[in-house]
Amino acid sequence: MSGFVEIALLLAAPLLLAATGELLLERAGSIQIGLEGTMLVGAFVAFATGRSGLPPAAALAAASVAGLGAGLLFALFAVARRADPILVGTVWNLLALGATAFAYRLVAGETGSVLEVSTLPRGLFGIPDLVAASFLAPVALHAWLARTRPGLRLTAAGENPEALRSLGLSVVAVRSGAAAASGVFGALGGAMLVVTISPTFVEGITAGRGFLALALVVFARWKPLALVPAALLLGGVTALQYRLQAGGFGLPYAFFLALPGFVALAALALASARGGAPKALGSPAP
Amino acid sequence: MRVRSTLAVAAGTLAAAALLVLLAGASPAEALAALVRGAFGSKAAAGETFARSTGLVLAALGAVVAFRAGVLNIGLDGQFLAGAAAAAAVGPLFPDLPVLARAAVVLAAPLAGALQAAPAAWLSEKRQVPPVLSTILLNLVAAAGVTWLVRGPLRDPSGDYPQSRALTDAALLPPLVPGTRATAAVLVALALAAAAAFVLARTPLGLAMRAVGESPRAARAAGLPDVRLRTGAFLASGALAGLAGGLEVLALTGRLYDPFSAGVGYTGIAAALLGGMTPLGSAASGALFAALGAGSSALQRDAGVPSALASIVPALAVLGLLLARARRGEDR
Repeated sequence: MSGFVEIALLLAAPLLLAATGELLLERAGSIQIGLEGTMLVGAFVAFATGRSGLPPAAALAAASVAGLGAGLLFALFAVARRADPILVGTVWNLLALGATAFAYRLVAGETGSVLEVSTLPRGLFGIPDLVAASFLAPVALHAWLARTRPGLRLTAAGENPEALRSLGLSVVAVRSGAAAASGVFGALGGAMLVVTISPTFVEGITAGRGFLALALVVFARWKPLALVPAALLLGGVTALQYRLQAGGFGLPYAFFLALPGFVALAALALASARGGAPKALGSPAP
Repeated sequence: MRVRSTLAVAAGTLAAAALLVLLAGASPAEALAALVRGAFGSKAAAGETFARSTGLVLAALGAVVAFRAGVLNIGLDGQFLAGAAAAAAVGPLFPDLPVLARAAVVLAAPLAGALQAAPAAWLSEKRQVPPVLSTILLNLVAAAGVTWLVRGPLRDPSGDYPQSRALTDAALLPPLVPGTRATAAVLVALALAAAAAFVLARTPLGLAMRAVGESPRAARAAGLPDVRLRTGAFLASGALAGLAGGLEVLALTGRLYDPFSAGVGYTGIAAALLGGMTPLGSAASGALFAALGAGSSALQRDAGVPSALASIVPALAVLGLLLARARRGEDR
């Protein structure tokens, strides 16, 4: 059974990282539905870095730099220029899917064989230490949001941006910072996939994980600590699904695929109006 | 001003595309020639462009109908899948009656698309759940549904791969011109674009929909049935995307497999944005994206430029447009 737990944790970690970043951005009042694209960019940059012979830690570092760029680009469009974040995110997904496929061709050439990169070594808990550490990210975010002055300002940008502005603070600056950080988290999530369980790159390797991470944020009702059990549940369900798939069960496998979507929908439906979402979510900065 | 910014976006996109071609080690002129040849250079190439237009035009229309009524339906991809699944389910039921099989597909696919959108419409009006979130989740559910269907109830027992039973050749739409893949499906899509343009611009219903989209409160105060209009637009949008999925099966694939959509629903939204959220403009951008898609395989084969260029260019153009508009302070 140890194999099962290990796989569940490895599957949960990328989702958790991406969802933590998204939650941070949404608490600041913006929303990046192009998280899938950011994860994809992270995965590709980690792959390309790994192929150049650098160690997995360097691949993660390179991916976070790319994520920073992705986050700042989103901030330029959706925060500073106040374009509709939903539209920017939708197009960003398309761009990231195309750009990573294009760049993969250039890096990998015409080869049909699978190009592998090296993965992180196992650490203290049977999983790589960096994977274990990602479970602390939501805890840190929780403490940061609740206990620090910048954390409170970020929450204010999402709940009552006018109040923040009347204090002479820039909502655009706060949200842009949140977008940059969430880009780093999203790309790290994608990169974590590549340096742990799927050490290669194929077109669309993230396979909807960015959308699942968006669902996790809703399911967790925008509370960082709730992300941990939610991601573990999802990781466990996915790991179980791999087992069932290997066992040849048709129905449960697809049922588990659909489960996260159903659960998040139910969470939304049962919650009272908007289900705990930040009040200014998706509205332009004043 | 509008013309100047449009030209700037077009020039910027072309420059970026040329840069990408150079990065891939090809000459931009040769790449352009290969692209045009692949999209229009022969009967088969032009047919491919038309064939690919169907889904994109219908998905873009779906986006226009919803967005103009103020509904951010990001679930077109899931609605496309629902329509395709319905087509794959009902199409093979009438192996000896091709006409009935076609009729069943053309009825079931839009219905399935509308049903796929219905939970999001209900959640939006009754529970104030933003459609953006609910439709993204419903896309996940639809994708899982296709995975299940092609391995479970719809699986073709005679095939090695998980895919649905095929429609009979007689039921599939025949090519308009022999030797091409273009069928009457593309004419259906273009006719619907014209119809949508007429309804939106020239009828009281279209005016009411736009009013609700532009200013929900004012429309409500003026006595318009805002909930019904939004819900109707949402379902109609789902029906258009569902029809796109159904016609994909009926005209091109003949069956359902997994994964079935290459992001048609999302690209449709991009086409609608580039088309200024008007039905005819969106149909034109949908056809342009289809030509890019058809041309890109020749681009890869003849000029060695990865065909993914065809999905980068539209995204860049729309991003440029969003930036140009945001700079002018327009909302959408």
